[in-house]
This record gives sequence, C-alpha cells and structure tokens, in this order.
Amino acid sequence: MAWITKNSAGAHIERQSEPYLNDEMKQELTPVVDRYPRRQAASLPLLHAMQEKVGWLPPQAIEEIADFLEVPASEVMDTASFYEEFWLKPKGKYVIWLCQSISCEIMGEPSLTDRVAEFLDIQVGETTPDGKFTLMKVECLGYCGDAPCGLINEDIQQKITPDNFIEVLKNLD
Amino acid sequence: MALEQPVLTKRIPTEPWGRHEDRHYVDYNEYVKTGGYQALDKALQMDRTAVIDEIKAAEIRGRGGAGFPAGMKWSFLPPVDGGRRFLAINADESEPATFKDRLLIDYDPHQVVEGIAICMYACQLDTAYFYMRGEYHDQRAILERAFKEAYDNGIFGPNSRLGQINGRNPDLFLHRGAGAYVCGEETGLLNSLEGKRGWPRIKPPFPAVAGAFARPTIVNNVETLACVPHVMENGPDWFKTLGKGRPEGAPPHVPASFGTKLIGVSGPVVRPDVYEEHLGVKMSYCIEELAGGMLPGMEFKAAIPGGISMGVLTKDEYDAPLDFDIGKPYGILGLGTACITVIPEGYSMISCARNLARFYARESCGQCTPCREGTEWLYKILTRIEAGDGTTKDLDLLLEVASSMGIMPGTTICGLSDGANWAVRTIVNKFWDEFEAAVKKNRFVSLSVANNNN
Repeated sequence: MAWITKNSAGAHIERQSEPYLNDEMKQELTPVVDRYPRRQAASLPLLHAMQEKVGWLPPQAIEEIADFLEVPASEVMDTASFYEEFWLKPKGKYVIWLCQSISCEIMGEPSLTDRVAEFLDIQVGETTPDGKFTLMKVECLGYCGDAPCGLINEDIQQKITPDNFIEVLKNLD
Repeated sequence: MALEQPVLTKRIPTEPWGRHEDRHYVDYNEYVKTGGYQALDKALQMDRTAVIDEIKAAEIRGRGGAGFPAGMKWSFLPPVDGGRRFLAINADESEPATFKDRLLIDYDPHQVVEGIAICMYACQLDTAYFYMRGEYHDQRAILERAFKEAYDNGIFGPNSRLGQINGRNPDLFLHRGAGAYVCGEETGLLNSLEGKRGWPRIKPPFPAVAGAFARPTIVNNVETLACVPHVMENGPDWFKTLGKGRPEGAPPHVPASFGTKLIGVSGPVVRPDVYEEHLGVKMSYCIEELAGGMLPGMEFKAAIPGGISMGVLTKDEYDAPLDFDIGKPYGILGLGTACITVIPEGYSMISCARNLARFYARESCGQCTPCREGTEWLYKILTRIEAGDGTTKDLDLLLEVASSMGIMPGTTICGLSDGANWAVRTIVNKFWDEFEAAVKKNRFVSLSVANNNN
C-alpha cells in the first residue's frame, strides 16, 4: 500500500562523511540524466542505481540524489516511498519475493509461503536475524504461465515446489 | 477457424507451429534475414500522413486492455510546432494473469522496435521511452542489447535512417518502473516517467495534447506496436482478413475486432503459455486445443478471460469468443489483455474474490478516496466472508461499495477501481449461490479458524 504514510517525524538520520553519490557515479549517471528534458525525470534510474550499489536507500543518499537532480529532497523521498521496490530501510542479503496473485494462488502459493516462512523462521515482511533473508509477498510478477513463481533478488524462479525452493535457499551463501 | 500462419509469433516458435523449447532471442541480423525492418523502409518511402492513414484503415485496436483504435490515437496529435514530442511504450504489464508482452520482449524485441520506429516517423516523435515494469530484471539486459543493435544499425541515434525529427536525432531509451500497478495507466505512467509518484492525471488534457513533460505524447502498448510493422508490410486489407471483424450488421464506424491476439493461458492446464490466435477465438478452443486442456483430475469451474479487472466467465460461458465485443453479452468489462486464468473446481470463488480485492487494495495509489478506502473495504468484507463471519448484509454492502467506485460511476480519476468493481461484482453475481451459502453458514466456524491461527 504505497499510500500509507510512514512516520518519520523526529527520525534520526545517520550520516557518513563519504558521499553515497560520489563523483564517479555522477559521471556515470550524467548521460542517463541527459536522456530526459527535466532532471527530475531521472529519479527512478538514479534510485535504482543507488539501491544496486548500497542495497537500500539511506536518507543521506536520497538527499544527495535530490541535490544532483536540483529538486527538493522531499520530491525524491515522495517518489522513493511510492514504489514497492525501493527500500527505505536495510533489507536482507537475499530478498525472496513470492507472487501471491491469482494464478500463483491457484497453483499452490499459500502452502509454499508457509513452508518458506517456517524454514526461515520468520513472518512475511521480516528479515532473518543474521540479515541473510527477507521474505516478501508481492503481486503478479508476470510469470503466470510458470506459476507459482517468485524472485530471489533479481533471479526469477518458476514452477516452484516447496521442496525444490528450500533446496535453492539452502544452497545460497 | 484456426489461424493458418503466425503473425506476431512468426519468429517465436509457438504451438501449433513450433515448440516453445526452441524459442531463442532473435537478434538484429536474424530479424533482418527473416524480412525484418522492410516495413520500416517501406514506411520511410511514404508520406507521414499516409502511414497514419494505413494504421487507421487497419483499425488496430490497442492491445493493452482498453481497445482504443491506435490510428485514431496517432491522429489526435496537434500539428508540429518545433518542440519535442514523445512516445511512451507501455510495458508495465502488471495486470495479474497477463504475461503476453514479456514473450515479445524476451524473444523478438526488434519487432516492437520496428513498430516504435514507424510510429516515431509517422507521428514525428523525437524520443521514445520504453517504460518496463521493474520486476522484469532479465528483460532489462535483453532490451538493452536489442536497443544497442538498433542504434548500431542506424535505426536510432545520429545515423538514424528516420533522419532528424523535430530537429533532433531520434532516440529510444529504457525506463524501468519500480513495482506499481497503477503506472500501467497511461497518465500514471507519464508521471512515473517524469520521476514523480505514479498518480494518474485528470483527463483532459489527454496525453496526445499534453503528456510527458507537458508535451504531445503517444502511449502505446508493446503488442499494439508489434502489430504495426505487419500492417505496413502487408497492408490494412490483409490485416482485416484476420480476426472476427465487425459485429454482424454494424455500421462501419463501429469499432471492430481485426487482427490476431496473443493469448496467455495460465492456471491448472497442461501447457500454460502464450499463444496466438484470431481475435474472436473461442475460449474453450484456447483452453482445450492450445493449452492442452485441464490437468488430469482437474475440472473447469470458471475463467478470468483478460486480466483480473475484466470479471469472470462461468462454465455456461465456456465458449465465449475472445474479441473486443465480449463485454456486453457476457456481462464483463471487456476483452482486456486476453490472458485467461483458469479456475478449477474445488477452488472457492470467495477466495478468488478475496485475492483480487487484495490486489486492488494493495495497488491503489491512494489519490481518490472511493478507491483508496473502497478497495480496502472490499478486501475486509471478503476476508470476513471467507472466514465464515459474513452476514447477508455484507453481500449487499459488498455490491454497493463495489458499484460506487470507478470512472463509470464517476468517482475516481483512473480505471483501477473499475477493475476492482467489475472483478468483485461479476464474481459475486455469477456465483451468488456460493456466496449466499457462505454467509448463511454457522458463525462458530470463524472462532475455530481464529483459534487455529493462534
């Protein structure tokens, strides 16, 4: 639910002296910004790039992106908080997204989710204490013909059976 | 009558013409060798307005769900004023049960790229943004490769064979979304493209007049653009031999169903996959012949014919023809994306409705109150009924809430809640007995459910 506002008033922002958006990254991303007639339009590509590098989107990184795009930080925060794929808090090393939409549910997603949650000993939306796995449920991933499906970070898993999937998870380091 | 020759899947092996195991990425050279980019060359010889006239004459209707005639959309653009004009390709494909555009992106992206180039030439659009949903990670590398091949071979960039458009070199860029269903709505997509939250805009102005960056913009679905080269190559008359055509006795201004359609079949069937058939093909044919019928031991109960927003078809409507006129006679919203989800006997329609309602509650962007609150409310009511805690009054409430949100009752900006409205309402109306039985059940059931969960 993208529209639920997150309580951030009074939140302490952790800062580091080294910028997240360093000169090298800026140079790399300048051609991407130039693709658009307005700098703000590069928000999504920049947030994607930042998340790929850092793993999530720290508030300081959002401020730096906003400076680079010459818009207020609140604008970039507004965008980042709207989209499901952007992480405003740290996540596990492996994020498991299990599709819960209609085709996957018919093909056995509920029992799959239960098995995975039991194996990882966490609830949906939580991260394991060692920071290795985060379990998420997500709406349609577009692999309905290969239901049930899921993503482990960026790798699509198709026609999952609980046993095979747990085997895959066991083999991740 | 079954389709004789594949059109959109010409280079993508698909049953019955090929085996889907043989599918592979068709690169630029292979695409050209099999007749690719000839349609673009043919279009470049023609006058720009003549190209638009051809597309108009072919009556290609948008394949993204709404079915708006593409040629007409193209002709809505205002005259060139020297400023920039954009094309946005809608590959957001987030509608549950829809996975047809991914087939084109995965295996034959040049077909889409050729359609993009023709559209940019005809409508004088200088920059195209390929808006693809963020969850398509593998497809990112595929598209980047295809776009690079297109640049290297003079489709786009400084050496483009389109020449300069609006005083600029034509460009095609990939823009990735980040997981929001509402960005598939054309104005939501434009806001997302501008780096804002994907809130749909109030129309008018329509995107053709003031779209991305407040400039004239065309938004087309991937499959629609993939049809364009075939029309240019073979002519509108050929295109009109495909598909069901105009409803019988209808005057020529009534929109018709011409061409072929990619049809995805998912659920408990033998070969769930994307197939190509004439528009107007019977749903039973898709399930039985193309997808190989139901899995052993499974029986057909109902099907959602075109993405979940369209509503549901029952066993009595098994032979429904999948064309743009499916809506009225079968009491559903329309053809949608023509991707069928089969629901087997034994799966509760209440669970089904609950699943669909949860989708809309989760994906509502929150801009309009009836949708933001209504979708969540529907989900709560359905969860309650599923748990055995529902009352007869809940069913009335459910229908009342559902029918008061959407563009059609006139309470929201975009069609997201029309989807929720139709999905839930058709299921409840067509499976009334099942819902009625559920609300009349002994109410102690829910307590036992609650106890088991603790």
